Amino acid sequence: MNVRTQTSRDYSAFEADLSGAILNTRLLLRLLKWLKPYWFTLTVSILLVCISSFFAIVLLLISSIVVIDHIFRQETSALVPDFGLIDLTETLAQYTGFSTLFIACSLYVIAQVVWALAGHYHRVTLTLAVVNGLRDLRRDLFQHLETRPASFYDNVAVGRVMTRVTNDIEALYELLRGLGSLIGEFLPFCFALVVMLSINVETSLVLLMYLPLLAVITMVFRRYTRRLFRLVRQSVSALNQNLQENLNGLQVVQISGREDYNYKRYQRINTNNLGFETRSMRHETIYTSFNENIASLAIGVILWFAGGKVLREAITLGGLVLFTRFIDMLFHPIVVLGEQINILFRAMASGERIFQALDWDESLHEPENPVTLPERLQGKIEFRNLEFAYRDEPVIKGVSLTIQPGENLAIVGTTGSGKSTLIRLLNRFYDIPDGSVFLDGIDVNDIRSKDLRQRIGVVLQDFHIFSGSIHDNITLGDSSLTRARVMAAAQYVNAHEFIETLPDGYDTLLSERGQNLSQGQRQLLAFARVLAANPEILVLDEATANIDTESEVLIQEALEVLTTTRTSIIIAHRLQTIQNADRVLVLDEGRVAELGTHDELLQTKGIYHTLHNFQFRQDSGQRESL
Amino acid sequence: MIRDLLRLWKYVRKYKGRLIGGIVLFFFARVCEASIPLFLGVGIDRLASGRNDLMFPVCGIFVAVILRFFIVTAARIAVRRASFLVQRDLRNVFYQHLQLMGPNFFARFAVGDLMTRAIADIQLIRRLIGNGTTMVVIFVYATMFGFGCMFFLSPQLLLVVLPPLPIVLIYAWRTSSKLGVASRRVQEKLGDLGSHVQENLSGIRTIQAMAQEENEQKRFATHSQAYSDKFFEHARIHSLMQAIMPSLAAVSIVGIVGYGGHLVLTEQLSVGAFAVYFLYVNMIVQPFRVAGMIISLIQRAAVASQRLHQVLDFEPEIEDKPSRGVPEVIRGQIDIQSLTFTYPRSSHPTLVDINLNIAKGESITIMGRVGCGKTTLLKQLVRLLDTPTNTVYIDDHDICKYPLQQLRTQVAFVPQDTFLFVEPLRANITYDQPRRSIDQVWHAADAASLSATVEAMERKMETIVGERGVTLSGGQKQRTTIARGVIRHAPLLVLDDCFASVDTETEDYILQSLRKLRVDQTTILVSHRVSTAKHSDRILFMEQGRFVESGTHEELIRLNGRYAELERMQRENSEAVYTPNRESLGIER
Repeated sequence: MNVRTQTSRDYSAFEADLSGAILNTRLLLRLLKWLKPYWFTLTVSILLVCISSFFAIVLLLISSIVVIDHIFRQETSALVPDFGLIDLTETLAQYTGFSTLFIACSLYVIAQVVWALAGHYHRVTLTLAVVNGLRDLRRDLFQHLETRPASFYDNVAVGRVMTRVTNDIEALYELLRGLGSLIGEFLPFCFALVVMLSINVETSLVLLMYLPLLAVITMVFRRYTRRLFRLVRQSVSALNQNLQENLNGLQVVQISGREDYNYKRYQRINTNNLGFETRSMRHETIYTSFNENIASLAIGVILWFAGGKVLREAITLGGLVLFTRFIDMLFHPIVVLGEQINILFRAMASGERIFQALDWDESLHEPENPVTLPERLQGKIEFRNLEFAYRDEPVIKGVSLTIQPGENLAIVGTTGSGKSTLIRLLNRFYDIPDGSVFLDGIDVNDIRSKDLRQRIGVVLQDFHIFSGSIHDNITLGDSSLTRARVMAAAQYVNAHEFIETLPDGYDTLLSERGQNLSQGQRQLLAFARVLAANPEILVLDEATANIDTESEVLIQEALEVLTTTRTSIIIAHRLQTIQNADRVLVLDEGRVAELGTHDELLQTKGIYHTLHNFQFRQDSGQRESL
Repeated sequence: MIRDLLRLWKYVRKYKGRLIGGIVLFFFARVCEASIPLFLGVGIDRLASGRNDLMFPVCGIFVAVILRFFIVTAARIAVRRASFLVQRDLRNVFYQHLQLMGPNFFARFAVGDLMTRAIADIQLIRRLIGNGTTMVVIFVYATMFGFGCMFFLSPQLLLVVLPPLPIVLIYAWRTSSKLGVASRRVQEKLGDLGSHVQENLSGIRTIQAMAQEENEQKRFATHSQAYSDKFFEHARIHSLMQAIMPSLAAVSIVGIVGYGGHLVLTEQLSVGAFAVYFLYVNMIVQPFRVAGMIISLIQRAAVASQRLHQVLDFEPEIEDKPSRGVPEVIRGQIDIQSLTFTYPRSSHPTLVDINLNIAKGESITIMGRVGCGKTTLLKQLVRLLDTPTNTVYIDDHDICKYPLQQLRTQVAFVPQDTFLFVEPLRANITYDQPRRSIDQVWHAADAASLSATVEAMERKMETIVGERGVTLSGGQKQRTTIARGVIRHAPLLVLDDCFASVDTETEDYILQSLRKLRVDQTTILVSHRVSTAKHSDRILFMEQGRFVESGTHEELIRLNGRYAELERMQRENSEAVYTPNRESLGIER
């Protein structure tokens, strides 16, 4: 017998806030996998950005080298590259008979149009590839999470998992968009660099000396402000938490007369936040002003430095003008990089979190050769010495039991006796050893979990209501179920009456988690859902919560309808449910303690008898479920 | 729109010194900035004419740049600081206002919505003041100085440069509003996607149990695609704007190259002025690129202001107009005279002609079906609803004449929903007066049968509970809220269905300790359980906003009416839950 043991996992990974502060190339390469299907679009995009960057340079060359040097001053220098623009202008002027100035203007217009179009389509194609790639990544991530087993969700906070699908993917959008705009900035930067170096190496080097300086300042600044940013973020979230909590508990605040006290507390947090915000703002302002002005300062530097050169005829006047125009092209990418660097780091951490979730391979055992189930099962269930441990703690300690087709079994027991675990195992929420649970004689491990679950209708205590209409909540997307079938199902389980009183009847939209329904109504709706799906086996965890007496009667009636034609296992909390059952199973510490009809068990004077007396002593109480 | 923005003046006025100072400083910063190209032009001209004397223009540029750095930094800090101060004030005002609000208000505004207003809307207003002002000022000054300098260099050439610029402006205006709409759509779709994921993962067990994974993935794909589409649409509009704006401005550039070139060739314009003209066109056009942002910021801030004022304009429903002559200490005698209460926007009254007299020291249980008006009646006693005047009297004084603060501290109301703050248990129990001694807290916990539970916790009374703290069971939460009410030793204690998740044994214990503690003090309970009700001095049975039966347990059973029927139903169709602890059963291991 193959006993699958649950390996213990470290779920704390889902609690920690990963803060990747390093450039992780492995991560970036892995991201490329999702962009691969869109490689053609990406190639086109990169081609386009090259074109657009080239024409950005051409535009500047026309207004400086062609117009100033060639047309105004008729001086050309072999050192200044013009990419044949001067020859082109001359040839066209001779050929058309227009003045060179007019031709220069026309070329300018053409270059401008090409620059604009190429740039636009570069950005559009890039975005398209990124959007599609990330959509696919998001899909894969969601699919992966959706199929993780219950043991995973028992151990991690849903909120933590959720942010991976939302916020973390969102951060990647920012990253890829940022990288995209950096390409758009750096290519012209490189072209400009080439042109500058070919014009005059010395002047270029003077300008280039600025760059490392600027980069270092940016780094230092960002490192310094990161701490400040964190303080700002923390104070903002403290502020928001305080407000939200105060709003949620406002009734308590008001009836306790705590308004003034709370307001003073909020003011303190608010002032605290103002302090951090101001400090952070001052740094940011000084940094941006510095960046802007250092570029302007470069104009003076060039004028001073190149001035002498011009006189020595090493550089043309147009070349000088060109240099001053290049300044923006050189400095802007650095400034953008400085702005993007935080986003980059944030996105790195997000990427890590996403891949960590994608790599989380915890999964349910699925058979290699699944059994094809017949059209209709008889509904015989057999437990053969079932054992199960949860986090190394044995919960089910050898349960053997056969439930006949059509039988109605009630399970009772103290809290922690293993009732919920038993029905969860039947539904294959966790892995179980081979040969311990059989359905119509078939080992459930040989059935695909999805097939199995379609044959077992489950109503848990806290049933999930999907946001959507009542109708959709009953059909669960099965379009073969007509409205008539839905209504019939609702009528059978006494849900029809309350549904009709809702504003739009079966089309009434339910809010998230069905908060506009009462507990009793939610339960009736869950019954209608089971009846419509018509599974062979019903598993029910009876509600322990406060249901008013009238709804209680409706639920009991509905339960009879549901259990007459199918095998049913009910974790019973109510006397009537137990009395209606064919047999009662008393679980105690993961073992079958007693099994028989209500009357039989009362006579054996065992645990059931004690339970019953306990219940009798407080004839109309409700017990808190712990 | 303008009106909404003007309403903000009230908050900005306090800091107008900083704002105006900043705006003036920006003027001088712009003077420096505009002079840089002029110096450059001079330099180029000197070079063109073969002069090697560049000291003046180079020094000019250095001085202008350094001055500008200091002035612009000071200006920005002044304006931004003002914006943060306004933000702080707005937050305080908003918070204070929300604390006065009642049920009508919260029926209209969901907490999530209010949070968005408090966070995003106030932030937008801050950005309008901090960044918006700066942008507008730069826009105005840049245009002013750009045109001024161009006019100074060559008035003729300016005539060629001018005509395309209005087109740029109009284009920027129109695209920016499109961009604003597109960006809102992106946010909406992102919100949809987020709530779908959240809902899905919260219900993952049901989804898996019902084998609905594939269905859910399809639904997810729809949301995800919708978001991707909107995201792409926004990016496309933005990119087009990035391409078209400079292209439109390029029309002016071509004008400079063509006509300006002609002027240079005919020696009406110097080469330096020609080269510098480009820089001035850039100076004017550059702010145009953010014109869209300014406009959309102004629009959005106007909407934000409107949304904020929707809340701030909401008058407190419960008027606090205390009059003199009411006693300072409430004794606990209640007299309700023909009280009829209708919720706003409701067609029929929830309470109909209620008359009730409760003597000091009496214990009362109110029963009835869900929605019969029990809670509505109880809330009148602490004026959580807008109680009509001259209907409810406490100690023979109209309840509306008591100061709210006094009423709510001396009438301890324990509501049905068990809200706990993310704070230590101690702070949660002694919420109304944080400075009570720890002994008093333990004492209240004892009375609410909570001390054994707390003793079992590692950090005892310092255990943090609530949303992000230790998870308590429904019963534990209810007992904590009961302790919160008991600790106040109020002359009048009102418990609204506080035992629903507490087992009967514990409930008995709590009721007994209440009887011991509250000798001669008035206690009102709401309950569904006959077992709770039968110990009270009087049971009132409500139906559709009226009392239909009233008397002791025995009297009502004899009456054989609604109460007797409920008693029978509860006896036969027992709600009892068959899930005790092993310990409470006395089963030995």
